[in-house]
Amino acid sequence: MKVWRNFVDLGAGLWTTLRQIGRISTVSYPEEPLNLPPRWRGRPTLTRDPDGDERCVACQLCSAVCPTRCIELQAGERADTRRYPLTFRINFSRCIYCGLCEEACPTLAIQLLDEFAFSKEHHADFIYEKDALLIDGTGKHPHYNFYRHSGVALGDKDKGQGINEKAPVNVRSNLP
Amino acid sequence: MKHVFFLDGQETPFIPGQNVLEAAIAAGQDRQIPYFCFHPALGSLGACRQCAVKMYPHDSKHPPRITMACLLPASDDLQLVTLEADVHTEHREIIELLMTNHPLDCPVCDEGGQCHLQDMTVQTGHSVRHYSGPKRTYRNQDLGPLVYQEMNRCITCYRCVRFYQDAALGEDFGVFGSRNRVSFGRLEDGPLESPFSGNLVEVCPTGVFTDKVFRHDYVRVWDLQQGPSVCPHCAVGCNTTPGARLGTLRRIRNRQNPEINGHFLCDRGRYAFPYVTAHSRPLQPRLKGETSRQEAVLRQLASRLEEGRSGFLGSPREDLQSNLGLFALADCLHAPFAAVTSSWAEALAQQCLALPQAPSLQEVAAADRIVVIGDLDSIAPMAGFAVRQALGRGARLTVLASSRTGLARKGDYRPLRPSALPDVVSRLADDPCLQGGRLPVLLATAETLGPAGLFALRKTLEKLPANARAGAFVNRPNLFGAAYFAADGHTERLQQALRQREIHHLLCLGADPLGEDWGAGTWRTLSPGLDGLALLDMVDSQTARAAEALLPVAAFPERAGLFVNYEGRIQAFAPVYRREAQVLHSAVHGSAFPEAAGGMKHPLGPPPPLFWLGRLAELLQVHEAWQQRLDFYLHFLCPTAPDPESPGVLLPDTLRARFAIAALPTTPTVESGQWELDIFRWYGGETLADTAEDLQSLAPLRGLRVHPDVQAEWATLQGPCGQLHLPVIPCEDMVQGVIAIDQEGFAELGLYPGDPVEVTWEQGS
Ligand code: SF4
Ligand code: SF4
Ligand code: SF4
Ligand code: SF4
Ligand code: FES
Repeated sequence: MKVWRNFVDLGAGLWTTLRQIGRISTVSYPEEPLNLPPRWRGRPTLTRDPDGDERCVACQLCSAVCPTRCIELQAGERADTRRYPLTFRINFSRCIYCGLCEEACPTLAIQLLDEFAFSKEHHADFIYEKDALLIDGTGKHPHYNFYRHSGVALGDKDKGQGINEKAPVNVRSNLP
Repeated sequence: MKHVFFLDGQETPFIPGQNVLEAAIAAGQDRQIPYFCFHPALGSLGACRQCAVKMYPHDSKHPPRITMACLLPASDDLQLVTLEADVHTEHREIIELLMTNHPLDCPVCDEGGQCHLQDMTVQTGHSVRHYSGPKRTYRNQDLGPLVYQEMNRCITCYRCVRFYQDAALGEDFGVFGSRNRVSFGRLEDGPLESPFSGNLVEVCPTGVFTDKVFRHDYVRVWDLQQGPSVCPHCAVGCNTTPGARLGTLRRIRNRQNPEINGHFLCDRGRYAFPYVTAHSRPLQPRLKGETSRQEAVLRQLASRLEEGRSGFLGSPREDLQSNLGLFALADCLHAPFAAVTSSWAEALAQQCLALPQAPSLQEVAAADRIVVIGDLDSIAPMAGFAVRQALGRGARLTVLASSRTGLARKGDYRPLRPSALPDVVSRLADDPCLQGGRLPVLLATAETLGPAGLFALRKTLEKLPANARAGAFVNRPNLFGAAYFAADGHTERLQQALRQREIHHLLCLGADPLGEDWGAGTWRTLSPGLDGLALLDMVDSQTARAAEALLPVAAFPERAGLFVNYEGRIQAFAPVYRREAQVLHSAVHGSAFPEAAGGMKHPLGPPPPLFWLGRLAELLQVHEAWQQRLDFYLHFLCPTAPDPESPGVLLPDTLRARFAIAALPTTPTVESGQWELDIFRWYGGETLADTAEDLQSLAPLRGLRVHPDVQAEWATLQGPCGQLHLPVIPCEDMVQGVIAIDQEGFAELGLYPGDPVEVTWEQGS
């Protein structure tokens, strides 16, 4: 019985292969664009939140987790106390597209999108600064906005106006 | 006998009186006991219920029970277990409760990476929040420029209040509200008043209180370069851990030295560090005010020194080796040298050194009869903190001062004019305030007490029981180190040589003789006789602006060195980082390549003073002799060089003994009815600290403080070296007949604390 089953599996596999005969699966890249799977790990980029502000809060988790230590950033603080990366640079001559930075990022800011083939003449040109990393979109996560979930007040979001928050307590009250 | 209990079958040693958690932490076996409200310096409270252990009784009658380790006194052969399922369940459930309202803030929370709550949460394995209801929120308070509050993150461990109220005896911070609404802060928004407020950042186990100065130039702790250093802002010499990144200093944290600063630092020590990054800090050698190449400046200076008509001036603000290096150079060139800027300061230093071994701050905290003379908090805040700890243990405090200082409010205050101090101090031995104690301690701010008062203090000490101790404080890190070669009228000789035109050039190290140092008035009158002045310093000052040649030097966290603190404890500090130009733009990417490959070298920061002095010695062709002398003096003063990680070594008593003969200095007589001067300081004021913007935004107004019975808006003071026009600030707390001005004012007038002064009071300006 078992042996018979193996023959069926083998036949199914063979059929899949035979079905491809006559089809052309080679793409003449780069003339023809590639249809990359959505979870493709291309070059890391910095994305923006749905309100158009940069998502990165300069928490340095990506630079801490990066196995090749190719991310370097310095935090800055805006007048409204929002943290942002003053400088953010990735050395793409070191990046191995492992995606660990994306996994670590709590704000979904850094995302490995679909750019994968880029060549330069000099090593130094592989060091991308923030202006080259930051894109004008939300990447794979169109709705997430970290500051709506976090407890800090920011801009028009006051205390208690975040997602799943109660109104601020009255600390002067002694009622039971 | 060695005492041990058993924690998960492991022997844990303890000292009787310790609780189980304390002993486990001390033995490094607290990996299995999470805790929040316990703090080694603040003790146990039992508020967080996190530190559960299971105790097996010795007999079989009682079942084992779960109890709080921080409340369980350690006793011999106690059997404790943490590795059982019910203990672990308790740990997990308590932390889950504490975390129900905790916001999703870690990415934007400055505590992240050094957060006790993060550590404990990971340690107990609480990774999924079951509660999905809405979270409690608070409005934050603005607590001033130093401490940032984000109240949502609180877990109500009460460490902050216990520190602020119980340890630091602060009055403007507390706990408000009831049930699950309790909140920790001030009654109203406003800067925290305690000189120790910055410690909230370290005691709070969560991110409620974070460092506001660090916040502006923040970097995660895992990217900080850190190392052992010593605070350069007063004679206490607290141990610190500076943190730097990309060649700039970002913050200062406490480094524990049980005999000095324990777990805490004062706000000057924590927040004065931006002197390192101040815009005004000289970073390039200057010649006649123009930035110049270092070789040109050195050569010019060497040719000046070669003329053989130079004097040398060291400084208690600079470290031991640099002062010795300058002394050795003066010695090689047979030139006059002084370590302090006035004879008064010299007498002060000698009298300080003549005092027998001063108490460590740990001993101060254990004293039961304390006399404080002058405003200790504003000279050496951590000494004031040690007094507060002693007060917490029931000590009796007496404060002799000309105004009701922060400490005076906590004890017996005796209002006194500064000129009366020597007399009162000499009669202290029979005073009831020191009677009946086990360990009497006298602490003085050296400037207020003055040389004569310090002499009286030494005589009083001889009459007190043998275990009585006295210490004198200044706001300079190395007065004791500099004072060793300050002996025997050096300053007078230097000034005399200048007056008689034997010298016409001065090489200063970290001194500000034309600005705010003691006796600056005299130097200013002498300065027309100066052809040129050269300065090695790390801050901008009037002397730096007037200097013909200016050689910038590395700031303290950027170099190694030795400070001798008020006890005569020699402490070493290590270079923590290298000052480099911050590489912010790709235009300088070439710098990542080695120089040989055509890359740009990072511009390095200024070198330590010894480098400059060594180069000068080379140019003057006395390098070998200079090095020999330097090594000899260094070996003489400190035969065993201390390690920066070690608690430091005390100067041998034999070295002190040569100052014991220091005679009674003369004092000015103040007639009754004459106005007399005292010094006004605040805890954040000190030469280096004065360039730290955030801290200085708290500085009190400049002016002349006097009892409000004087009806005037302005006053003009007349001194031997000049006059001073200042606004009058009425001050309830001042003794009548006393005028308090800052050190700059004293420098301007050419007077010293306790001197009589002529005043004209004016209405309007
Ligand atoms: S993909 Fe991997 S190697 Fe590349 S930047 Fe991210 S963590 Fe670093
Ligand atoms: S992990 Fe995300 S938010 Fe944090 S620094 Fe990196 S990109 Fe920015
Ligand atoms: S503010 Fe910090 S120290 Fe104070 S109770 Fe809350 S968590 Fe504890
Ligand atoms: S007490 Fe003195 S040495 Fe200690 S931190 Fe404060 S200024 Fe620095
Ligand atoms: S540490 Fe023991 S109850 Fe908080």
